[in-house]
Amino acid sequence: MNWRMNKNKPLPAKRKEDIPYIKEGITFKEWKAKNGSGHKWRSIRWTVLISINVLFIISFSLDLAILEGSLSGSRLIGFYLMDPFNSLQELVISAYSGHFGLLTMNFAIGALTILFFYFLMGGRTYCSWICPYHFLAEWGDKLHNYLVKKKKIKEHKFNIYLRFVFWTGFLLLALLTQNLVFEDVNPVGILSRAMIYGPGLILLWVLALLIFEIVYSKRFWCSYICPIGATWSMVGKLSPFGVKFELDKCAHCRDCQDVCEVPHVLWFVERGKATKVRHDAGSDCTRCGLCIDACPGNALNYTIKGWDKIL
Amino acid sequence: MGKHSINRRQFLKSSLIAVGSLTAVGVGVGYLQKVTTEERINQKFLRPPGAIKEKDFIYACIKCGLCIQICPVHAIKFAGIKEGLAYGTPYIDVREQACDFSCDSIQCVETCPTSALYFVPFKMAGEKAIEKYNLTHKADVNYNPFPVQIKAMKSIVRMGKAKINTGTCLAYKGKGFKGTPRGDKFKGVNRSPYSQDQRATPVRDKFYDEKICHICVKECPIGETAIIQKKNDKGLLVPEVLDGCTGCGVCVMVCPTEEPSIVIEPIKS
Repeated sequence: MNWRMNKNKPLPAKRKEDIPYIKEGITFKEWKAKNGSGHKWRSIRWTVLISINVLFIISFSLDLAILEGSLSGSRLIGFYLMDPFNSLQELVISAYSGHFGLLTMNFAIGALTILFFYFLMGGRTYCSWICPYHFLAEWGDKLHNYLVKKKKIKEHKFNIYLRFVFWTGFLLLALLTQNLVFEDVNPVGILSRAMIYGPGLILLWVLALLIFEIVYSKRFWCSYICPIGATWSMVGKLSPFGVKFELDKCAHCRDCQDVCEVPHVLWFVERGKATKVRHDAGSDCTRCGLCIDACPGNALNYTIKGWDKIL
Repeated sequence: MGKHSINRRQFLKSSLIAVGSLTAVGVGVGYLQKVTTEERINQKFLRPPGAIKEKDFIYACIKCGLCIQICPVHAIKFAGIKEGLAYGTPYIDVREQACDFSCDSIQCVETCPTSALYFVPFKMAGEKAIEKYNLTHKADVNYNPFPVQIKAMKSIVRMGKAKINTGTCLAYKGKGFKGTPRGDKFKGVNRSPYSQDQRATPVRDKFYDEKICHICVKECPIGETAIIQKKNDKGLLVPEVLDGCTGCGVCVMVCPTEEPSIVIEPIKS
């Protein structure tokens, strides 16, 4: 994680009298209780996530032509949408095998549309706002955290750049075996298809993954393997939509890092680390809003880069 | 510096594990693909209409399920791991529910975004048929090119070819059939070529009384270019499969014998 740290010199650590609750003359507990920490964004996000997935389900079961297909590829009222990592594998294999010329215009439109949409929305927004595995894993996290707290298990961490090793690896595997290898093990696609078209034995794999995440390493798949998330991470590098951080409102309590799935994107909340008075969370951020809900000082917020200056 | 090198070492170590596990997955998939591609498609599991060669199909299909959604008779299903096909790819089990072309447009092929089901040949065949129709029928009062277009499109489907098992076929024994071929609990549907229905109707609602069984010939959605009733050298009226057979499997679905006396064999390319 040291590699990605900002090379700029950090600002001097915040003086004690500048810390919000001390400024107000109350204790941290009182301050936190006063500002409350609700679950506003989580409720909104879960509603969106569940609605989208239910829309998929009822589009098939009730024969409504609203959102057909699955998360691997779908059609929204006749308009195609393609998962970008799937499309990329498809392109790589097709270019090699000669299938490329057969691919349809709908394929190209679908892949580009979704790339553009998630570029605007922040890349990994997909992970926390749409992905059904993320939803399951969030509950797994709760259990995992509980077990760690009770000292029943130890936390195991790996390097977050592993995702890019897997990203490259899965792409190479696709090319070498001439098969969409990743789609065979992809819990997102498996869950999505199981919900829409009925369950199968392959769900055991997803269960095994979930158990592994609960008892061994928190968010193992999302954090270290998933090439879909890695793709979105790259797409989200220059996204206008994201989470901003305002130093003057921060009390360095780091409650945000506790709830964050990818705490390294919030490296600047540590006392004496921030290099600017305003920071944007990195592209690994899933824009899930847990930190926004958790922050007692309202130092973290959604933003559209460049817009808040105009408004 | 010290912290950096620990990080780097840890990263390299886990990368090595990652590459190792990926290799294992790759070898596994590669091996499975090699041993099963040939046998993957058998008489029980057919690929939907317009499927490209199995070797290409396996990567071209992104397992989105759009073909499954669009099929009005729900003939196309997802392969689970127990079907022995590549997980998540579409297949048709014709004995349970055949593709009866009652959608009238081969829309599963048209909907496929990655051309695992390849639409262009169908489109061209349809356009050609319309052109031909226009030459002679342009001035007609009830000008309607769609039936010829659909007919041309469905006639070039090649999911396989039907083959009659002469040992069990009722007609080869000179027997007739009276009743409902698959029992009253059978869920399959089809649109009989002789009916006026717009949509497919359940097979269990159909009643036959044939002196010599030829339900397969009667229900064939393609007609006399695919299967006919013909006298064989023993003087028995038996069904005969012709080259126009598309392998849609309606004959397999409606065959009244316990084990179907007609099966779809994959086309060897």
